[in-house]
Amino acid sequence: MNEKNMIEVHNLTKTFTAYKKGKGLAGTLKSLFKREAIHIEAVKDISFDIKPGEIIGYIGANGAGKSTTIKMMTGILNPTSGYVKVGDYIPYEKRQENAKHIGVVFGQKTQLWWDLPVGETFAILKEIYQVPDDFYASQMAYFDEIFELSEFMGQTVRTLSLGQRMRADLAASMLHNPKVLFLDEPTIGLDVMVKERIRKAIKDMNQRYGTTILLTTHDMSDIEELCHRIIIIDKGKLLYDGGIDTIRKEFGYERKIVFDLRYDDATLVEQTLETLIPSVDGCQPDNTTYQLSEGQLTVNFNRNQVGVSGIMNFVLSHFNVLDFSVQDMDIEAIVKRF
Amino acid sequence: MFTNAKRYIKLYGMFLSHYLKAVMHSRTDFIIGFLAFFLIQFGGIAFIALVFRQIPDLLGWSFYDLLFIYGFANIPRGIDHMFTDYLWLLAGNVIVEGEFDRYLLRPIHPLFQIIAQRFQPDGVGEVIIGILLVVYASIKGGIIFSPTKLLIFIVMIIFSTIIYTSIKLILSSIAFWTKRSQSILFMFYSMSEFAKYPLEIYHKFIRTFITYIVPFALTAYIPASYFLGASSLFKSLGLTILISLTALFLGLKIFNLGIKNYESVGN
Repeated sequence: MNEKNMIEVHNLTKTFTAYKKGKGLAGTLKSLFKREAIHIEAVKDISFDIKPGEIIGYIGANGAGKSTTIKMMTGILNPTSGYVKVGDYIPYEKRQENAKHIGVVFGQKTQLWWDLPVGETFAILKEIYQVPDDFYASQMAYFDEIFELSEFMGQTVRTLSLGQRMRADLAASMLHNPKVLFLDEPTIGLDVMVKERIRKAIKDMNQRYGTTILLTTHDMSDIEELCHRIIIIDKGKLLYDGGIDTIRKEFGYERKIVFDLRYDDATLVEQTLETLIPSVDGCQPDNTTYQLSEGQLTVNFNRNQVGVSGIMNFVLSHFNVLDFSVQDMDIEAIVKRF
Repeated sequence: MFTNAKRYIKLYGMFLSHYLKAVMHSRTDFIIGFLAFFLIQFGGIAFIALVFRQIPDLLGWSFYDLLFIYGFANIPRGIDHMFTDYLWLLAGNVIVEGEFDRYLLRPIHPLFQIIAQRFQPDGVGEVIIGILLVVYASIKGGIIFSPTKLLIFIVMIIFSTIIYTSIKLILSSIAFWTKRSQSILFMFYSMSEFAKYPLEIYHKFIRTFITYIVPFALTAYIPASYFLGASSLFKSLGLTILISLTALFLGLKIFNLGIKNYESVGN
């Protein structure tokens, strides 16, 4: 076993057992006596190691098993088989010991107490994590600098905006200077300014203390700005583990244009779309894809081989376009390509 | 170990002072809860008084004896109500909504976090009523409290409270397997009403059931009957301590086992 690893994940598997429920009253009664078990494999045989100080992007589509893996690394869940080691501890065996050395943020759900003012929250966390007075003071000053906490220090957590809450949650996870930070969707639902601030804080924390960070996100720019290495999982299986450069080389020139169209006959639109690839300069089936659903046309293409203007010209001249936007390729689309 | 206990006490104090501050802020809420509670208690006492208008005594128990038991029952119930009210929510939506995750992410015991999460001031009313009734019934019924007896009284209240908490803990921990257990908790918790009256009035089956299976009899009738001279100290106190510690042990075991079985939820 390599001594230098901060996180070790070996052949990790988690299977949930659910029971099929019968339909109607008769079915419910029947399932009381005879239950049919369904096994759901959320995580299948995943292995990877993470070195101290790394920032890892852990990505995959919704339901790919990201959160389940994080829950095993933080000790919330017991694995069905395989093992996890974080620092010196097996998290689900020494949960409280492990908790002293990690910080966790779930973007979807706050870890803080709804009814407590932010200030009191930190005073209580100081006690829970036994943070020494002088370190506490310097951390709070530091957080105030990067998260501007004093703006809402007196408010209760319940009254915070999403952006403020996320700042408070992140600061709370970093208060005791954990060796490892697990950030599950730390930028979800935030506007660009707040996202930028949060990324800066994450980067700063990593440089200042050498904190190992594992983060999941749907935002490609989070990954580009923060991560040196990414791990992609899909349907519970490991798809890719390696540098961000490979991904950037392969998908960095991918662009996506989304059009809102108005039309009466969808089949007619489909028929016209079939002429898109043959008629636009540089378009090939392997560098351009499109999809039409409920008035929204999404075109993915490689910026290096296909001109944006060609595609725009084609769509604008053939359809009634209400609105459009040009975006970077999203993570779901990348996962699909593997 | 000792510093750990000190840390837990300090933490509890921090949570408590916050809740007391919050209670002060919503005083109307507190007063309404308090009043409603007095009305309920008044109904219960009026019922006993009404029964004794018709019959001079019940299987050898006088009106003041019954009042004493009734009052005694309110004290451990009220103390438990003040401190462990969050267990009702554990049996409710905490597990099904994945809220329990957060308690597993902090380096203190999840049960402590759950208990510290809430302070229920309604319980204060129950304790006050209980003490008033016990004092009144003692004076009228000629029960004399020596310092030793007072000490025994306090010890009995402590262990009776442990029984309440343990029963709630065991039943709410079932939610780790069933996701929710509020209805089963409610069903059994209602049985504590039985403990407010002498056991003799019940069928043997119920007597055994609320002494050994869901031991609410030990939260009122059995300990109280020592003071009424109907039971020996050894039997009342011994049984109360024995069963309360057994129940607490079981409760903690089941709770910890439940954590191992906890499956969280997807996002």
